[in-house]
Amino acid sequence: MAAAIIETSQLTRSYGDICALKPLDLCVPEGEWLTVMGHSGSGKSTLLNLLGGLDRPTGGSISVRGTDLATLSEDGLARFRRDCVGIIFQQHHLIPYLTALENVMMSQYFHSVPDEAEARHALERVGLGHRLKNRPGELSGGEQQRVCIARAIINSPRLLLGDEPTGNLDHKSTTMVMELLRDLRDEDRFSIVMVTHNQEVAAWGDRTIHMDDGCLVREERTKGC
Amino acid sequence: MLIRILKSSFLKRPKPVLLVLLSIVMGSAVATAFLGISGELSHKMALELRSYGANIVLEPAAGEAGSLKSDDLPKIKTIFWKHNIVGFAPYLFGQVDFGSAAGRQRGVVAGTWFGRPLQVPGEPDSIQGVKVTAPWWELDGRWPETPDEAVIGAALAKRLKVAPGSDITAAAAGKSRTFHIVGVASTGGFEEEQLFAPLAEVQTLLNKPGQLSRVLVSALTVPMDDFGRKNPSRMTREEYEKWYCTAYVTSVAKGVEEVMGGSRAKPIWQIASAEGALLKKLESLMLLLTVLALFSAACAVSSSLMAAMAKRSPEIALMKTMGADRFQIAAIFLGETLVISLLGGLLGYLAGDRLAVVISRTVFDSTVTSPLWLFPTAIGAALVVALAGSAAPLKRALAVEPVRVLKG
Repeated sequence: MAAAIIETSQLTRSYGDICALKPLDLCVPEGEWLTVMGHSGSGKSTLLNLLGGLDRPTGGSISVRGTDLATLSEDGLARFRRDCVGIIFQQHHLIPYLTALENVMMSQYFHSVPDEAEARHALERVGLGHRLKNRPGELSGGEQQRVCIARAIINSPRLLLGDEPTGNLDHKSTTMVMELLRDLRDEDRFSIVMVTHNQEVAAWGDRTIHMDDGCLVREERTKGC
Repeated sequence: MLIRILKSSFLKRPKPVLLVLLSIVMGSAVATAFLGISGELSHKMALELRSYGANIVLEPAAGEAGSLKSDDLPKIKTIFWKHNIVGFAPYLFGQVDFGSAAGRQRGVVAGTWFGRPLQVPGEPDSIQGVKVTAPWWELDGRWPETPDEAVIGAALAKRLKVAPGSDITAAAAGKSRTFHIVGVASTGGFEEEQLFAPLAEVQTLLNKPGQLSRVLVSALTVPMDDFGRKNPSRMTREEYEKWYCTAYVTSVAKGVEEVMGGSRAKPIWQIASAEGALLKKLESLMLLLTVLALFSAACAVSSSLMAAMAKRSPEIALMKTMGADRFQIAAIFLGETLVISLLGGLLGYLAGDRLAVVISRTVFDSTVTSPLWLFPTAIGAALVVALAGSAAPLKRALAVEPVRVLKG
């Protein structure tokens, strides 16, 4: 059994009287691809934000690679995000006035030192070696998402978080992105936690947890593609 | 990378950048123009205020050695502060018996220079006398031009029933001299009870050759401050040098006293104080206007940046998601502000310099040259405006929560 990259104990997140995440115990081993499914408002994005250090729990503990995120300062959480985590969003969120290459290099800039050759290599790995100088507006949805993946993996994170990364893509692009994620994970051995509504997408993972009303209600092993 | 980010940010968002730049240029230009003309303004105002009359009076020092000699007068234009001496007028007063069509009456005759050309070796030629030191006199007639011409005070003229064109005789110590009246002076002061005749003629009439009763000096001075009010005799050597080399009315008076042997020079405080207070208020007003201009520019910068920051909050949230800490985000936005403010400072200086020339030409009918120190001042003002204006937007940027902004 691999060591755990994520461990939560009675992890809770409330917004006033509303409890978005009810006490959750979760363990994700190194290298696992975990899919989180559930309806809107089930608490899956809240869990993802907590795992990425973008939000703070109101109760319980959350540990990623042995670091208790609840104890970190704002700048400590920023350091954690740039060193340990890569995040992919449904809406891409690329900086519109920078080229694909510069968007990837920006992540390097916040992490350490921008390296153009390395950034170019990352874009080549996601099949965008010919789109380096294009701005987001000049790329298709699938291409934009692949730039986001290149940006997310450029600093070699041990944990990749995806918040419905294929939510805006057609079937063909979705398959392309999922294949890409699978290949990258196989090469780099990072863990993935991905939120999705899509059963087909969930099937790419090793394990799926189902959430409802802030609670983990079901867990199942998936085959993995 | 930072340079790439800044360059792309400027090129791809020209409107908000131009708005901020414009605000900084305006603030910096107004500050440059105000500071540029403030020196000129103070100088011109000081010159205008010289029409209040003399601000230093020289009298014979107390004791037997005390005397004032007309031969020493040219030395006044040789003192350390010679360029600040706008003019001076010597006076010799004496009691005489006036004779006119109305009969005989006792009164005061004042020998003086009306507008005498003065040549001092090594110095530019100048005109000295009452015309220069008392420009507010209202003269019915004209100034005397020959030794037998005189000006009479309005009250004395009324008493003696004389007018321009009349003759008046002044007698003292067994001598008498007839003067032809060419002007009647209204001053609103004691001068209206006197007869003003050429100095040399009065010295002869009173049998006091080369002697003077008083010299009134009109000098450009700086407002008195706490240091200027200190007693020079109790100053250290360094303090005394600083005091002597500052154009306080007291230090200019000291300089005049040193060259006029046997004299005692005193500031005419009601004039010096009023001038000082007025000039100080003027300087304060200019400073206040400058600060207000900079404050307005900072407010404009702040609102422009605030609007731009609201549009860029997804970008900031994304940076935070990628692991940017507060310092890195501040570096990007302050870097942008720094570049804009340096450019704004340069353009503001150039615009302010032109504005100062226009104001100076329109208001003072003169040309002003902005001093070099204004350039770093303009850049500094632009930086202050930009930094003050970006404080609130930066605070908002640092408070952006990625979870809220990037949701959905």
